Amino acid sequence: MDTASFSSWNGKIVDNRKGKVAKSADIKFPAQLGVDNVSAAMGWNGLVVMDPDADIISLTMNYLKEARKLSCGECSVCRIGIDRLLDIFGKMAEGDGNKKDLFEVQQITRGVSVNSKCNFGRSVLFPVLDSIKYYRSDFLALIKGERKLETKEYSYAVTAPCMEACPASLDIPGYIELIRNSRFEESLNLIREKCILPGVVGRVCPHPCEDACVRQDIDGPLSIRLLKRAVADYDLQEGGSPLTGTVEEKEEKVAIIGSGPAGLAAAYNLRLMEYKVTIFETLPRAGGMATVGIPDYRLPKDILNHEIDLIKRMGVEIKLNTKVEKLNLKELQKKGYKAVFLAVGAHIGTTIGAEGEDKGYEGFVDGVEFLRDMNLGKKIQPQKKVVVVGGGNTALDCARSCVRIGFDNVEIIYRRSRAEMPASDEEIEEAEKEGVKFNYLMTPVKILEKDGKVTGVECIKMRLGVHDESGRRRPIPVKGSEFTMDTVMVIPAIGQRPDLPAMIGKDKVEVTDWGTIKADPVSFKTNIEGVFAGGDCVTGPAILIEAMDMGNKVARSIDYYLRGEGLKREISFEGVNTREQREQGFIAEKAAEKVDLLDVDKRSEGFAEVESGYDVSEAMREAQRCLRCYRLMVWEQAG
Amino acid sequence: MVNIIIDGRKIKAKEGSTILENAEELKIEIPTLCHHKELSPFGACRLCAVEVKTNGKWKMTTSCNTAVDQGMEIRTDSDKVRESRRLSAQLLYYKYPTTAVVRDMAWKLGVEVSEDAKAEGHDCILCGLCVRACREIVDTGALTFRDRGLGRDIDEPRIEFDPKLCIGCGSCAYVCPTGYVKMEAVEDKRIIWDKVFKMAACKVCGKYFAPQDQLEYIGKKTGVPLDKLYICVNCR
Repeated sequence: MDTASFSSWNGKIVDNRKGKVAKSADIKFPAQLGVDNVSAAMGWNGLVVMDPDADIISLTMNYLKEARKLSCGECSVCRIGIDRLLDIFGKMAEGDGNKKDLFEVQQITRGVSVNSKCNFGRSVLFPVLDSIKYYRSDFLALIKGERKLETKEYSYAVTAPCMEACPASLDIPGYIELIRNSRFEESLNLIREKCILPGVVGRVCPHPCEDACVRQDIDGPLSIRLLKRAVADYDLQEGGSPLTGTVEEKEEKVAIIGSGPAGLAAAYNLRLMEYKVTIFETLPRAGGMATVGIPDYRLPKDILNHEIDLIKRMGVEIKLNTKVEKLNLKELQKKGYKAVFLAVGAHIGTTIGAEGEDKGYEGFVDGVEFLRDMNLGKKIQPQKKVVVVGGGNTALDCARSCVRIGFDNVEIIYRRSRAEMPASDEEIEEAEKEGVKFNYLMTPVKILEKDGKVTGVECIKMRLGVHDESGRRRPIPVKGSEFTMDTVMVIPAIGQRPDLPAMIGKDKVEVTDWGTIKADPVSFKTNIEGVFAGGDCVTGPAILIEAMDMGNKVARSIDYYLRGEGLKREISFEGVNTREQREQGFIAEKAAEKVDLLDVDKRSEGFAEVESGYDVSEAMREAQRCLRCYRLMVWEQAG
Repeated sequence: MVNIIIDGRKIKAKEGSTILENAEELKIEIPTLCHHKELSPFGACRLCAVEVKTNGKWKMTTSCNTAVDQGMEIRTDSDKVRESRRLSAQLLYYKYPTTAVVRDMAWKLGVEVSEDAKAEGHDCILCGLCVRACREIVDTGALTFRDRGLGRDIDEPRIEFDPKLCIGCGSCAYVCPTGYVKMEAVEDKRIIWDKVFKMAACKVCGKYFAPQDQLEYIGKKTGVPLDKLYICVNCR
C-alpha cells in the first residue's frame, strides 16, 4: 500500500477515505519503519492509516498504554492526564461513555500539550486529538454501543532525536534522567547495555547526538558526552563496579581478530550470551585505535585499561603480540572456533600524492604510525619544526602531541578552509590556543630533502570550487602558486585504510575497491562461511562509537548464526524527522554547565588530560536541561 | 537588572530571578503546590503556569522555573492561563480527591469539588519537595524519584526512601504539603518513613530533642564535637 487512507503526520491532513483523488502522505509507512504489514500507525507527530478497516479506537488506547509507560511522572499533567484519558476510553468501551467525554478528551490533550514539563508530554497526545477528530464517528458508535473494540496485535518503538543520531542508539534521555535523579549507578548500567567503553566514549566521542539535540537551536545542546563521562568517572571514584557477568559457558568458541572498540564490544556481548571468546591482537597492548590512535591528553590510558580490564574479568581472553599473519581461518576453525570476527581496524595512513613520500626520508612519518609509536612508549625527539598535513582529528592529535613533546613550531596545512575541516571545533580551538599554526588552502606536492633527511615541503595554493560528493567544496590547485616551507619533519595524516593481513588474501576474503573488507551491512557476514567483519576494516576510518556499535551488532549476528536462526530486522526511523513536533512550547534558555580545561601554559609540560569532567552536582544540573524528546510509535499489525 | 512587563506593569527585575519571584513581589498571587523559596524549582504541579510572549506569540510556561529575560512580557491572568491552571488542578483532584490541599486548590481554581468524599486522604502528589529538601538542605539524598521510562517496568512513579542515608531530621515531613510523610514521636523514639530513630536527650534539661543519627551527621559535617551538640537549642 503506497497511499495512506488517512494521514495527519506533521499536522498535514491527507484524507483519501471518501474516494477523492489519492494523495500521498508526508510519511511512508510501513516502508519507512522497516516493518511489514502495518495497517495503521500512531506516533508523536500524527496518525497514519493504511488499511481503512483498521481499528483506530483500539490503536489509540494501545498507544496511550505505551505512552503511560514513558510518561516519567515528574509533572502532574502528563502523568495524570494520560491516566484520565485511559479511564475515559475504558469507560466508553464498557458502554458507559458519553458524548461529552470526547470534549474532555480534547481539553486534556490540549492542556497536556501546552503545559507539560518535557517534550514528551508536549508532543505525545497530538495524534489522540487527530483520532477523535477524524474518526469521530467510530468513537460515537462506540459510545452508542454500536461498535465493539477489535483485538489486534500491536507493536511499538521508541526513539529520540539524540538516540537517532547516536550510531549505537543509546537511550540518552533515559540515562540523563537517571543522572537527574541521582541514580548514577543505574545510569551507568543503562549506558553499558550498548556502550561498553563509557569512560572512553565520554571523553573522545565527537557526539553526533549533541548536534541533533533539540536545544541546539535554542541555547546550545546538552553536554551529553560529558554526562556519560560523569557517570563513568563517578563509578571509578567509587571503586569501579564490575560488569554483570556470566558463569555458564556454552560449548561454542568465537575468535575475534583485533582488540579495538569493535572487537571488545563484540567480545563483551558474546560473553553475555555465554560464548567462549578469544581475542587475538597483533600489538603489545589491547584497545586498537583507542589505545594507539588517541593521545593521553584526550584519553588517559588508565581509563581505557580499566574498561578493558572489566571486559577481561568477564572471561574474555586477549592474546597480545599475536601476528594475525600466522593465523589462518581454516586453522582457527580446526581449533574449534565456530565463528571468526575480523575487526582489524584501519591502521595504515593513506598517501598524500606528494613527490618523494615513498622514499623513506628521515623526518617523513605517517600520522597513524607517529601516534602508534608515541602511544606504545617510543621516545620521540622534539625538533624545531614539524608540518602536519590534514584537517581531521588524527592530524590534530599529531599536532597537539608535538606541542607536548616540545617541538618549537607546529604547523598544520590543510587543502580546504577552516569551515570544511572535519576535526571537531573544540579540537581546533584548543590547538589554536596551544600555538598550533593553521595554514589553509594549500597542499604539499613535493617533499624536499638533503642527504635523505627532510628539509622542507613544496606546496601549492588551492582555491575552492564547486561542491563535491562529500558535500564540501572541492579544492582546486592554483597554477603557478607553488612555494616552499622549511621544515625538518612532515607528518601526513589525511586518512587511513585497513592493513589487511596476509591471511585475508590467502583465505580469499572478499575486499572492496577501497581496500576494505566486504561484509553484509546487516549481518556483517563476509563471503566465507562463519567469518564476520566489522569496524574500521569494513567502513574505513569512522568514529569510535560506530565501530563499537558494529561490535554489538556482530555479536548479535554471530549468536543468530550459531543458533542456526535468521537475523531479525530492526525497527528504523531512518528518513523520519524526529526533531519535528507539532508544538514546541516555551523553553526557558539555560546554557550548558561549563567544564574546566587545563591551563594552556601547562599543556606543553606533558600529556596531562586537558578536560576535567563534571562532578555529581554539575552533572545533575546539566541533566535538568534535557527536554526528554522521546518519540513513541505504536502500530497495528495487519492480520 | 532587566526590564520586564508583568500584566502590563513595567518593572525592573533581578537578572536570573524567576517570574514567580517577581510576581510575588508585586503581590500577584500565583497558585502552586510544589514550590518552596528555599528549594530549587521543580515544575511538578504545573499550577503556576503563565503566558510569556516569544516571537510575537504567547506561550505557556511555568513561572517557578522560568528566569526573566530582558524585555520579557508576561501574562499571569489571561483566559488561557486560568484554563490551564484549572485543568492542572482538575487532574490533581481527579487523582487525589480526598487530599485536603488538592481539594482546596481545585475549588479555588474553579473545579467542581464534590462534598461526597471527605478530605481525609494524605496522598503523595509527587511534588518533589521532600526529595529537594533532603538533597539540597540536608544533603543526605535519602529520598529520590523513581521515574517511569523506557524499559523500566514501573506502574506508578514514586518517591524512594533509602534508610541507610536517612538521619531522621524530619525536613521531609516539614515540607510535605499533604501530610503523606508522617513523623511520629514516642518518648525516646522518632519514627519516619517506617525507620525508627533513637532520640538524644539534652545533657542539660534531659528532654529528647533530636535523633542521635542527626547529631552524629552534623558533627561529621561541621566538626563540632558531639558533647557540644548534645545540648538542646533552649539550653545552649
